[in-house]
Amino acid sequence: MNAAVAILLASTLSAPGPGAEHLLAGARHFRDGRYGEALVEFRVAAALGEEGARAYAGASLVKLERFEEALDAFEGVPRGQDALLDYYRALACFGAHLYSCAEDILAGIGDRGGPRIAAEVASLRREIAAQRPRAPAADVIAWYTGRCTALREKNRPLLASAYCREGADLAARRAKLSGTAKPGPAAPAERP
Amino acid sequence: MTGLALSLLLASANPCAPVEPAHLPDRAAASAYRAVAASELSAGSVETAIAAYREAAASDPADGEAREALRRLCQSPPPPDPFREGIRLMDAGEYRAAAAAFGGARSGDAGPSAVLLQGICLFELGEDEEARSLFQEVAAYPPHRDEARMYLGLVALRAGAGAEAGALFESAAASPALERTARDLARLARREGRLVLSAFAESGWDSNVNLAPGGTPSGPPRSDGLYAFSLNALFRPQGTSGPYLRAGGFLQDQVQLGAYDFGGFDAAAGWQLGGSGRGLLLEYDYGSRRFGGSSYLSAHRLLGTGWLRAGPTLLGASYLVRRETYAPTWSSFSGKLQRAEVRASLLATPGLRIGLAYGAGRDAARDPALSWLEHGPRAELRIAAGRALLGLDASVTWRPYDSYDPALSARRSDTYLDGAAFAEWDLDGRLSFRVSLLGRRALSNVPAFSYDKLLPTVGIGYAIGLSP
Repeated sequence: MNAAVAILLASTLSAPGPGAEHLLAGARHFRDGRYGEALVEFRVAAALGEEGARAYAGASLVKLERFEEALDAFEGVPRGQDALLDYYRALACFGAHLYSCAEDILAGIGDRGGPRIAAEVASLRREIAAQRPRAPAADVIAWYTGRCTALREKNRPLLASAYCREGADLAARRAKLSGTAKPGPAAPAERP
Repeated sequence: MTGLALSLLLASANPCAPVEPAHLPDRAAASAYRAVAASELSAGSVETAIAAYREAAASDPADGEAREALRRLCQSPPPPDPFREGIRLMDAGEYRAAAAAFGGARSGDAGPSAVLLQGICLFELGEDEEARSLFQEVAAYPPHRDEARMYLGLVALRAGAGAEAGALFESAAASPALERTARDLARLARREGRLVLSAFAESGWDSNVNLAPGGTPSGPPRSDGLYAFSLNALFRPQGTSGPYLRAGGFLQDQVQLGAYDFGGFDAAAGWQLGGSGRGLLLEYDYGSRRFGGSSYLSAHRLLGTGWLRAGPTLLGASYLVRRETYAPTWSSFSGKLQRAEVRASLLATPGLRIGLAYGAGRDAARDPALSWLEHGPRAELRIAAGRALLGLDASVTWRPYDSYDPALSARRSDTYLDGAAFAEWDLDGRLSFRVSLLGRRALSNVPAFSYDKLLPTVGIGYAIGLSP
């Protein structure tokens, strides 16, 4: 998958801008497994105006297991343009315990990525199914709500809304399981 | 050329090696690197910040701010990320150091994970009270709640609180990822407790009944059906680790050849130190046996055994000495029996265990012609598949006797080839069904002592754990 990111990046570079060489340097680091160095180069490329560098910084953060920061990095990056980057975004959601978010992204990947990404997607879906609580308990829902509040206070509204939405999804499932169809708070429209 | 390659290699490995300036200074890039470095530093990612400052200093050799920041960070290098260090130490089996490292990672982003892993390390070290408090703490964090409950169940199981452990395992089974293991453990917990009572009944067929216990043939082989029943009780007031009392009795009766009925009882007291990772056990046992309806043997036995787990490998050693007093008819067999064994087993996969052992025994009987020294290897295989447990055992024993036996006109020397296979099916944690086949081929330089024996049986067992 590392080489795939490097190839993807090289193929999407068109007219080289001031950040292009940093983007390529980041791709080389990423391919060789030096994710910290890759992150630095991708962030510099983004600072120098290279479009798309944020998504690669997000992929690097996923590799560094900094999942919430990865979701911040993916903010504003449109979904559905590239299956591999969408897969990394889903990994970021999964790592941050945002299972509905991950499922939603994986469902949108479909057959776009070819057999290799399809296999990774299937494997991640199995992991999500294993991790997701079957009957969400009240304290689990409260944890998501609390995380949402804490992130709002830290001025990270989009990430906060992802936690709120996950909590609302779980509350809805819990209500459905207990037979009382009491809907949770409306989920904000933004998606990480 | 080699020197240049080496210095480049060292520079890439050492983030604080001297910075090679770029051919053309690029102040815009240097400024961007500096900004990234500052942001990484504020996010607590010192290694990435150093990498960014290095690039800033390389892009603009006149960038004093980046050089100064790099010098500062390299002069007092930050300690390694305690969480990653803990993972490394845990993987290396250094649980004490790993627990300390995870303790240092509690305040970071990975805090709850660090608490869980610190608890697991302490559990591995047998420090269950400290581990329990950490698992209780992390159980309040929903993403790790089920894992924490699973480990709380293991702590309870080790303390002999089977019912509490079972409830915790059932609760942890709410997580699909843990469901199978947790349900298996919940079943196991039903037969664990401070007081464990068990009963086993079986029936079978013996191809060669007329061997005295100890394998002395008495005439041509005769086969017969058999039925057997045993009862056992184990009391461990402090759980797995600590003192215990054990008592048990059994009856094994032949359908037709009542002269070969066998039975007896044992009463034992012992002390276990440690748990599944490493431990020592000392036990005293008094046993009495009846044969053909008459008193046959009484024995006092001391047993010492120890074990140590290293990753998937379990190493162990045992020694026992038994003072045997036979009934007058058999009194020449009375004496002191000693056995020792070293063993190693490998948990090749979660469901497959392979074990090898080598044992030696010495029976110093009253009659030197009945005294022997034996030794030989033993191998065992265990396969767990769902509720089923399959086992295969095989061993070879060489047993030369001490001295010439005038009654046999020979100094006897035997070789025993033993094999056993069994399959056990756990019905509900308490009730289990078992089929087994035992076989022996005895070879001797005295033809009368060569024989074969096959013993297929089917049985049903019941065990219950109580925590009074």
